[in-house]
Amino acid sequence: MKGYELFARTLNDLRIGPVFGNPGSTEIPMLREIKDYVLTLHDSISVGMADGLAQYTGTPSIVNLHTLPGVANSMAFIHTARLNRSPVVITSGQQDNRHVYYEPLLSHDLLSLVSDAVKYRYEVRNPEDIERSLKRAAMKSLEPPMGPVFVSFPMDVMEEEADYIGLAWKYPNTALVDMAEVEYVAKCIEEAASPAIISGSEIDAYGSMDDAVNFAEKVGCPVYAEPLSSRACFRSGNHRFAGDILPATTAMNMILMKNDLILNFGGDFTIYPYLQSPLLPGKKVITISLSPSFKYGEFITSHPGLFMRELTKIVKPKGDFRRPEDLSAGSVAARERRTLGMNYVLQKVRKKFHDYVIVDEAISASVAVRKNLGYRDRSYFTAKSGQLGWATPAAAGISMKNPRVLEIIGDGSMMYTVQTLWTVSQYNLPLKILVLDNQGYSILKSFSTSFYPGVEKAPFLSFRTNIVKISEAFGVEAREGDESLNELDWLAEGEMAKVLVVHVDKSIPKLFF
Amino acid sequence: MKVLIILPPFLPIDDIREIIRQILPDGEISTSTDFTEHNAEVLVATTFTRIDGNLISKLPNLKMIQISSTGYDNVDQDAVKSRKIMLCNIPVANKESVAEHVITMALAHLKNLIHFHNEILKGNWPVLTNSMDLMGKTFGIIGMGAIGRKLAERLLYFGANTVYYDPVRLPEEDEEILGLKFYSMNELLAKSDIISLHVPLTPETKNFIAEKQFNTMKDGSIFINTSRGEVVDEAAMIKAIKTKGIRAGIDVYSQEPPDFSSELFRLDNGYFFTAHSRGHHGKPAEVYNGNSRQCDEICAGTPASLQGAMIERL
Repeated sequence: MKGYELFARTLNDLRIGPVFGNPGSTEIPMLREIKDYVLTLHDSISVGMADGLAQYTGTPSIVNLHTLPGVANSMAFIHTARLNRSPVVITSGQQDNRHVYYEPLLSHDLLSLVSDAVKYRYEVRNPEDIERSLKRAAMKSLEPPMGPVFVSFPMDVMEEEADYIGLAWKYPNTALVDMAEVEYVAKCIEEAASPAIISGSEIDAYGSMDDAVNFAEKVGCPVYAEPLSSRACFRSGNHRFAGDILPATTAMNMILMKNDLILNFGGDFTIYPYLQSPLLPGKKVITISLSPSFKYGEFITSHPGLFMRELTKIVKPKGDFRRPEDLSAGSVAARERRTLGMNYVLQKVRKKFHDYVIVDEAISASVAVRKNLGYRDRSYFTAKSGQLGWATPAAAGISMKNPRVLEIIGDGSMMYTVQTLWTVSQYNLPLKILVLDNQGYSILKSFSTSFYPGVEKAPFLSFRTNIVKISEAFGVEAREGDESLNELDWLAEGEMAKVLVVHVDKSIPKLFF
Repeated sequence: MKVLIILPPFLPIDDIREIIRQILPDGEISTSTDFTEHNAEVLVATTFTRIDGNLISKLPNLKMIQISSTGYDNVDQDAVKSRKIMLCNIPVANKESVAEHVITMALAHLKNLIHFHNEILKGNWPVLTNSMDLMGKTFGIIGMGAIGRKLAERLLYFGANTVYYDPVRLPEEDEEILGLKFYSMNELLAKSDIISLHVPLTPETKNFIAEKQFNTMKDGSIFINTSRGEVVDEAAMIKAIKTKGIRAGIDVYSQEPPDFSSELFRLDNGYFFTAHSRGHHGKPAEVYNGNSRQCDEICAGTPASLQGAMIERL
């Protein structure tokens, strides 16, 4: 069997697909037997789509990049997939081994290029490597912490012959729970005066929402979402849910001021921006995670959901926290109606799209998106890295498996990977996109106002685009919405892709201390 | 059509006469009901005039009564019905004034104005304050008529969280525009920091807020009544002020002027009184020329009713 046939056969065996990519001359040899291919008009979009799909399904997805330019173009997206803990198998072509000595066009040391962005990297040396390296990469991608892996394939290896072995493969078992650690945490809860729970992205990633809710119901403590979580962490409709932890240490300390024990299940302490307050001083912090970061406090390496399941059996109730009813939402939205403020728009969105998967890259409105749309199982995704341009490809990837996906994005973010709309149109993906157009980089204006006053007026932070025309040029129907926001009905109708642009309040929000 | 306008003598009659001359030239103003008979077909009156069977019997040609306010509890409705006389009120009258008055009372309590005023008059300089903001407080409106809506509109920009109860729930779009959340009566009483009452006085609403309702309120909450005194059980309110620390803002009383020997006026703390004054201006012409919609509505209300725009017909 030729190398390119081994490549296709292995992917079929792994049941991984489609292949997302934008090919070049180095990839043409390896793609000859690939039947399920999704073309994107920029390399990075392939990684973004694969990231969204992998996170949503919880299984590996695959990308094929065009050697040096393709990998280099995608580096920010690979980095994001790593932080998102997204099991993406990234492949690329490589120049013919016999040719590399002359440093030909497109050749480069790809393994060095991806070195700190992937958890496994390998360049095949012979055709026998093709099956085993791909299977190894797929299994490694799912090993905690999940994340992207990379395999490159020199052109000449694709022409060589080898047998397909049919190597056994299975995804790693993550069901790690140490009962002694469970008993230790139960004791800590019993001895604490006022524990609080932080629920992290691993809870959703490992399908542990039921365990998290059952534990919260039993123990009775408030449950917060991990700061800047990349996906849903808890069911925000549950009365134990107390809201998001904000990423600045000062804010974090204020939110958790009355709690002496912080139990962090499957989350991390993402901190931004830097403020002088120390992180959670004087508090006992225990993180239970399959991939702890070892940044702060005590750590238990364990499946967080299964750990909570066991803990629920022995823990004693420690309160009966019930989130106070939020009576401000209606009045805040009503106040913002005249200016098309984010809360007004998002309250309207919630009514129409409350059961959709939300992919969020409306950076300056993200707090409002989370608050107004809430968290449900596999219902909310955003880039953990903070990069722009990730959401449209990721939302497109998710829409391949779920026809009810709403991407909420700013005008600035939209322009990074706007050519994703071509792929969305070409493959008839039912993606709905709401662009909150505030004519500039509102998050940077807010940051400037707080830390570097005056810069927010700089002309390089403001711009105008015509996203309706751009969308239509890529074959996607688009409209602008007025104050009534009746166009949200139009956006929700049908299963074709649509873009709705709403010219929202341009005043600078106060997002930083 | 012969129109008789009965006004209380303390109003600036000359100013009003000038206004009436221009909009109701046939109108005759009287400050007394002390006449034996009058041939008026239309009677215009304020709530200061008791319109009972005796008065109606002195008006044999009467076809319509126009009350120049929202409330019409000064009218003997049985007597009106038996004569098949049309009774009209002006539900939009004074709505802005009342709404502002309610907010004034709420702020007076929240900002502890009387305490500060008295302390400073005594030569004291209070260092610590228990002054609170209206922003973020849960403001419950009982009765979402014209006044309730105007109050809700204003509260929106104070940043208050406004909830309401009314037997007839508003359309969803109206709730959205006003930022309102609908509650049952009990929920509203239990969850509000400030409660303002805007219901008409009818046989069903007499003592509408009584001991049970006061007991449901949060301790220390603010209770404002600018509707009608008899809607509230005064004894229960006094008890609630004493035992639950309810802070009351009272503009209306079961009898007006009230019995000043009542315990209500001898409590140590927790009250703020005004004299059913939020809708009455000493200088109506000035107000009329000052872009006040309320005077407009009152003055224009009568001819509008005469032309058939009946607001309430019995």
